[in-house]
Amino acid sequence: MSLRGRMTAALFAAAVAAFATPAWAQNYHIGALLPNSGPMTQFGQLFGNGADLAADHINADKMLSKPFVIDHEDSQGQPQPAVTGMNKLVRVNEEPVVLTAQSGVSKAVAPIGEREHVVTINGGGVAPDLAKLGPYFFNVIPLVNYEVRALVPYLAKEKKFKRIAIVYVEDPLGEACLNELKENAPKNGMELVGAFSVPSTSRQFAPIAAKVREVKPDVVFVAYYGQTMVALVKQLRDAGVDAPFTSYSGFDDPDLKALPAAEGSIYSSQKMDWASTDPITARFVADFKKKYGKDPTFYNANYYNAVWVTAQAMASLEKKKQPITGENIRNELLAIKTFAAVGGKMEFQPDGTVSMPMQINELIKGGSKVLN
Amino acid sequence: MLFLQLLVDGLQLGALYALMAVGFAMIFGSTRVFHYAHGTTYVIVGYLFYYLAERLHLPWWAAGAAAAAAGVVFGVLLDRWMYRPIQRDEGSFFTVFVASFGIAVVAENVIIILFGASFVSISTPLTRVSDIGGGIVVSYLGMFSVLAAALLFVFLNWFLDRTDVGVALRALSENPDLVRGFGLNPRKLSQYAFAIGSLLVAPAALVATCVTGLTPTAGHRVVLISIAASIIGGIGSLRGAGLGGLILGLAESLAVWKLSTGWSEAVAFIILFAFILARPSGLFGNRARV
Amino acid sequence: MVGYILNLLILISISGILAGSLNFIIGYAGIYSLAHAAFFGIAAYTGALIALHVSTSLLIAIPVAMAICAILSLVISLPSLRVRGEYFVVASLGLQMIAFTVFSEWTSVTGGLGGITGVPVATIFGFSLRSLGSMLAVSLACLALVTFAIFALVRTSFGRNLRAIRDNEVAAAAFGKNVALTKTLAVAISSALCAVAGVLYAFHVSFVNPESFTIDASVLVMAMIIIGGTGTVFGPILGALIIHLLPAGLTYLTFLPSRDLASLQQIIYGAAMVLLMIYRPSGLIGRANVKDTWSK
Repeated sequence: MSLRGRMTAALFAAAVAAFATPAWAQNYHIGALLPNSGPMTQFGQLFGNGADLAADHINADKMLSKPFVIDHEDSQGQPQPAVTGMNKLVRVNEEPVVLTAQSGVSKAVAPIGEREHVVTINGGGVAPDLAKLGPYFFNVIPLVNYEVRALVPYLAKEKKFKRIAIVYVEDPLGEACLNELKENAPKNGMELVGAFSVPSTSRQFAPIAAKVREVKPDVVFVAYYGQTMVALVKQLRDAGVDAPFTSYSGFDDPDLKALPAAEGSIYSSQKMDWASTDPITARFVADFKKKYGKDPTFYNANYYNAVWVTAQAMASLEKKKQPITGENIRNELLAIKTFAAVGGKMEFQPDGTVSMPMQINELIKGGSKVLN
Repeated sequence: MLFLQLLVDGLQLGALYALMAVGFAMIFGSTRVFHYAHGTTYVIVGYLFYYLAERLHLPWWAAGAAAAAAGVVFGVLLDRWMYRPIQRDEGSFFTVFVASFGIAVVAENVIIILFGASFVSISTPLTRVSDIGGGIVVSYLGMFSVLAAALLFVFLNWFLDRTDVGVALRALSENPDLVRGFGLNPRKLSQYAFAIGSLLVAPAALVATCVTGLTPTAGHRVVLISIAASIIGGIGSLRGAGLGGLILGLAESLAVWKLSTGWSEAVAFIILFAFILARPSGLFGNRARV
Repeated sequence: MVGYILNLLILISISGILAGSLNFIIGYAGIYSLAHAAFFGIAAYTGALIALHVSTSLLIAIPVAMAICAILSLVISLPSLRVRGEYFVVASLGLQMIAFTVFSEWTSVTGGLGGITGVPVATIFGFSLRSLGSMLAVSLACLALVTFAIFALVRTSFGRNLRAIRDNEVAAAAFGKNVALTKTLAVAISSALCAVAGVLYAFHVSFVNPESFTIDASVLVMAMIIIGGTGTVFGPILGALIIHLLPAGLTYLTFLPSRDLASLQQIIYGAAMVLLMIYRPSGLIGRANVKDTWSK
C-alpha cells in the first residue's frame, strides 16, 4: 500500500474507532474543555488531573450503572478553538456536561451550552462576570469578589496594614479586584494609595515597580494570573518593591510557590483543610498523592468536585429512572443543592454559583500554610 | 524622583533593546535577509542558558558561552540551509520572510514541548536592586547590560571601520558585485554577518533570562523591537539601530511617568509610526534607499 | 456530528473570506500586510456593537462594517504606502500591535479583555439565522460573493494596473499609472471584504474579545494563502480548508500526546511554510511562473 493509502486507511480506522465503537454508548461520558496547550497549559493539567481522579473514584465505587468516562478537548485557552472544541463535545459526542475554565473561554462556550441544554461547569476562573452566563452555567469555585471581601479585613486587623496599592491586569478579574478594594479598604480603615494597570501583553514591569515604590504601600495587591503573574511578582520584588504581596487564590500557583521573591505573600482562597478527617477529603488527598506523586491544590479539588457532584446528580437520576440529559442534570444539581465534597459542604446558589467558607494563606518556602 | 528612576530603568531597558536590534540590523543591513528568526536565536540562547545553568548546574560563564555558541550555529545554519536555497531562486523579500517566520513558529513550539509554555528564569541575587543614592535603585545586571551595550558598540565601530571583513560587510549591502570584484566571497561574508549578528543578541538573551524571565513566545517581541529600532535608526545603520533601541526603551519607561501604566506597550509602536510617517528613512538612513 | 461539521464549515467559509481578501492585496497587488486580523477585529467589534444596539440584520451590519474598515484602512495606508516593501510589512505589524492594544484598552467600547458577550442571533430580511444550516448557507453565499468580486475585480483594468505595479512598480509609474492611488484603493477594498468575515464571525461565535485578533491570527490567515497559493482564486479557500481540517484530523491520531497537539499543529504549519518557500513558493495550486510572481 502506498504511503498515502496507508495514511488514508489509518485516518479512516481512527474515525471509525471514534464514532462507531459500540463501547461509546455503554459508557457515561462528560466532556472537559481545558487549556491543554498555550500559556495556561499548566493549569489545564491541574484541572484535568482533579477531574480524572474523580472519574477513577466514581468507577471504583460503582456509583453509576455504566462506566464513567471523561473526554478531553483542548481549548488552547482561547475563545475560537474553545468554540470548535465545545461543538465537538456537544454535537459529536453529545456530552450532557462539559467542564470549562477561564473567563474568555467560558463566555465563548456558555451560549452553546445554553442553546444545546448542556451543563457547563467552571472550576478555575474566578472573574465575577462568570456568575451571569445563563441557567446552564455553574461555578464550583467561589468568585473573586467573595475572596477580596474576606481578605481585606484580615490585612487590616491581623496584619495592621494601613496603605494598600494594587497592580492589576486590565480585564474583568483585575477590575473586579480593584473595585472590591476601593469599596472594602476604607471600610476596614485602610487607604488605597495607588492603582496601577498592566496591559495583558506587557512583560516589562520595572517602570510599574518605580510607580509602586513612589506611593510607599504597606502591602501590594497583585491581581493577575498565570505565568505573567509570576514574572510580575519577581520583577516587582527585584526592582525594589519590598512591601509584602497579597492576592486572591490565583497566588496558589506552583510556579509562584517555587519563587523565593513571593515568600511571605498573603492570599485568600476557599477553605481547604488537607489534613481533614472527613472521608471524602482524606480519600482525595491520599489518592491524589498516590496517582500524581504530589500534593493537591484547590484547582485539583475543584475539578474533582465538579465531576463528583455531576456523578451524584446522575446517580440520583438513575435511581429515579429519569434519562441522563443535560437538562435533567441541571435540575437535579439545583434540587439536591448541597453536596458533600472535598473540603466540606458545597452549596449551589440559584444563580449557579457556590458559597464556600474562605481561608487566608501565606506562601512559605516551597509551599503555603494556612493563617487562620 | 520618579522621573529619575524611570530614566535609569529606561536606560537599562534601552540597552537591552539596543543589543537585540544591532544584531538584526547587522544581518538585514548586509545580507538584506529579513531575519524574523532573529527572535528565535534569542529564545534558543535564553533557554539553553537556563537549561545548562539552572537544571545541569553548570557554572554561569560556561552555560552562557555554550548558549551563545549555539545561537551562532543556529544563525549560520539557517543562512546556509534555508535562506541560501531560497535566494538561489531569486526569492523575494517576502518569500524569505515567510520561511523565516515558519522557522520561528517551529522553534517556538518545539521549545513548548520540551520546556512547557510557562515562564522560566534564573534566580540570582544580581537581579536585586540596591540604592545608589537619592532613592534611585539599580541592579548589578542592569548596570552590566548598559556596560555591555556600550562596550559592544565600541567594538563594532572598530570592527566595521578597521578590519577587512568589517569593511567588506558594509560594502556587501551597497554593492555585492563590487565585493566580488575585490575577490571576496559574498556567501562567506553573509555567513560572517549571521554569525556576528546572532552573537550580538546573546548578551541581551542572557541578561533578560535572569531579569525578566523567558517564555517560548518571547521571540516575536524581540523581533518587533529590533525591526522598530532599525527603522527608527535607519535601515542599514548599526549606530542608528542601537540608538533606536535606546529610544524605544526610554520611551517605554518614561511613558509611565504621566500616562496610565496601561499604555507603555503601545508607545513604542506609536513612535515607530511617527517615524514611518514623518521620516521613513530613519535617523541615520540614506533617503535614496527607501 | 452534523452540527460539528456545520460549525467547522462556517468557520472555513469565514476563513476563506479572510484569506481571499488578504490574497487580493498580497497575491495581486504585492502589498504584504500583517494587519489583516486588525481589520477582522474592527469588523467583528462593529458587527457585535451594531447587533447589540442597532439591528441584528446582516444587511445593516455588513455594509456599515465594510465602510468603517475601508475608511480606517485609508487613514493608515495613505501614509504607509509612501514607502515600499519591507516598510509596509513593518508598518502593518505595528498597526496590528496598536489595534490589539486599542481592543484591550478601550474598555468602554470594546469591553476590554473581557470582550462583548451575548451577541444576538443574526437576521437577514427578517429571517432568523438561528440554525447552523441557515448560518452556513449565508456564510457560503458571502464566500461566493467575495470570491466572485475578487475574481471580477482582477479582470478589470484596475486589476491589470495592480498586477503591473506588483511586477514592476517603477515601470508602472513610468507608464503613467497612479501607483499610490491604486494601492490605496486595493487596501481599502481588501479591508472592506475582510469586514464581511468579521461580522459573520461576531454573529456566529456571539462573543468577541481581543484574543481572537492577535498577530497569530494574522499569521494564520497568511499561512492559508501561502499554503493554498497566492494570486489564485481558489488557493485561499483550499488553504483555509487545510488549516481548519488539520487540527480536526490530528485529534483522531490517538497515538499523539494530546497535550502537545496544538504545538504539533503549529510545527506543521511552520514547517509547511518553510518547505513551501524553499521548494514551491507559489503554493499548492499556484501558477508555474514562480520567479515572475515573486521577484521584485
